[in-house]
Amino acid sequence: MALINVAKREIQCKIVYYGTGFCGKTTNLQYIHSHAPRPARGDLLSIATESERTLFFDFLPLDLGQVHGFRVRFALYTVPGQVLYERTRVAVLNGVDGIVFVADSSPEKLEENFQNLLELEMNMRRMGRDLGSFPFIMQWNKRDLPGAVPIPTLDRYLNRRRAPAFAASALTGEGVFPTLRAICKAVMGSL
Amino acid sequence: MEQLTNLVVSEGELANIARVLGRLALDTGASYTILLDKSGQLIASQGQQGQRDLTALGALMAGAFSSSRQVAEILGEHDFRSILQQGVQENILSNLIGEQWLLVVVFDQQTHVGLVKVLARKSGEELERVLDRVRHGASEARQQVVNVQFRSDAASAIDSLFQD
Repeated sequence: MALINVAKREIQCKIVYYGTGFCGKTTNLQYIHSHAPRPARGDLLSIATESERTLFFDFLPLDLGQVHGFRVRFALYTVPGQVLYERTRVAVLNGVDGIVFVADSSPEKLEENFQNLLELEMNMRRMGRDLGSFPFIMQWNKRDLPGAVPIPTLDRYLNRRRAPAFAASALTGEGVFPTLRAICKAVMGSL
Repeated sequence: MEQLTNLVVSEGELANIARVLGRLALDTGASYTILLDKSGQLIASQGQQGQRDLTALGALMAGAFSSSRQVAEILGEHDFRSILQQGVQENILSNLIGEQWLLVVVFDQQTHVGLVKVLARKSGEELERVLDRVRHGASEARQQVVNVQFRSDAASAIDSLFQD
């Protein structure tokens, strides 16, 4: 839920990167944090386990600067991907304005991606939201992997809503900013 | 409850919120008081925050609260509407306001927790009335701020700032 603070002349929006464990959600945020221009980016906050897996969420505030006299800010979050943390994912989705679904392109992850997407749809329905009419972007991550599932196949099985989709390799940064730009614009468009 | 798409806080209502938060901090002797949206976004704060990173604090507090509601569901509780976190130096009381906002009171050992609980509940009632007014006026206020030109300029800013 975007917050428009007329008195402070500020607009704040929440974007969540969703997806299975090890699909690259945190890597997306790390790349944005290390490559976004300095005034625009805040500190990257991670709540991780000792093995560096996301336990609760990662959080990165981004500041777009002034637009028509309003300071526009995006708060980027990731969810923990492992199946075990479903309730935590629901908690992080609270008040979300836009979602990036990061799909792992490895063939062995196709089923897991699919289940994770169904879970997301169900969680959104519980919050009274339909992904079909919500700012929603797909990212086909790990395109650099040998044997990556072809994009048309991913599109057929995971993108029946025909959401805008971006090929990416978050480790090298390919596709990370195009995805970010698309979700930010979609969120602005839905204000 | 269905989520709102936007919440617009006007200048007048922000002043009302600041007044409630300021009085709560003063009457309890709390270090500071914060009003958050349940998505973790900071609406207003009053008191002595020093160098604290309120943006990160807001995200974490809202996350912790949201997580506790999931715990409530597992336990078969309808809700946890209040959380008290106790530290050696400082304590935090968080109360849910009208399913949308979170009132956070940070206080030290000089302040009695019972007093904070009672006065925070009273302040919560006042804030709930503000929230009701904000909800009703949201649509009209939003149209004044967000128009086609605004969206187009925001898109240009996104393109120029978030580049490879």
